[in-house]
Amino acid sequence: MSGVSTAAYVARRAAQKERVRILYRRALKDTLNWAVHRHLFYQDADALRQRFEANKDVEDLDRIDRLIANAEATYNKWRHPDPYVVPWAPGGSKFHRNPIPPAGIEIVYDYGREDND
Amino acid sequence: MALKAALLRHVRVPVQTLNPGLSLTLTGAKWGLPSLRWMSSHDDHLSKNEVTERVLSVVKSFPKVDPSTVTPEVHFQKDLGLDSLDNVEIVMALEEEFKLEIPDKEADKIDSTNLAIEYIYNHPMAG
Repeated sequence: MSGVSTAAYVARRAAQKERVRILYRRALKDTLNWAVHRHLFYQDADALRQRFEANKDVEDLDRIDRLIANAEATYNKWRHPDPYVVPWAPGGSKFHRNPIPPAGIEIVYDYGREDND
Repeated sequence: MALKAALLRHVRVPVQTLNPGLSLTLTGAKWGLPSLRWMSSHDDHLSKNEVTERVLSVVKSFPKVDPSTVTPEVHFQKDLGLDSLDNVEIVMALEEEFKLEIPDKEADKIDSTNLAIEYIYNHPMAG
């Protein structure tokens, strides 16, 4: 019985840790969207890090879940409307521009000739 | 690893035969000789050494890391004494260095220099 509950505890902790890592990653990227200059970004990133560090030692699982849910709600509320996207990525300015032609299509260099010449 | 490198080299062969002048620019300096698709990122790919060197320089310049301890096989959290949030920051720095956008779930798995080098080297858009 205790083995099962320990496994459940470990699994739930692992899921929570992953949620926190991904939330921190998204929030950090969003910080860079809001503060486009480095000297602004570093301060904002430190502030963000401190907000994560503040609840580092919380042990109660349900409280951790509530904290994560609150943080995700805050992140969603303050998400940048026009984030930076790497040009080739979906949503980027070069996405699907000048794509590589599909296999089997080739250029035939016989300009000006009719089909039955 | 060696097999993958061999495969990549094999795959490039038809491109080189089509454009004999291009083979020099494939692995050489980026802004050297003009190639067939000037200012295109499709034709050049980073070499393993360059990826390793740049990944290591990013990790070494992370403020909480002692540069002398960084090797190509180092694990961020076990060997360098970082925590998981530092790991996230390093991966984000690597994304900026190589102009990549790594999906969240995959970026979460990158926890050592070895994995980072492998992932970036095999990424077609790494630049």
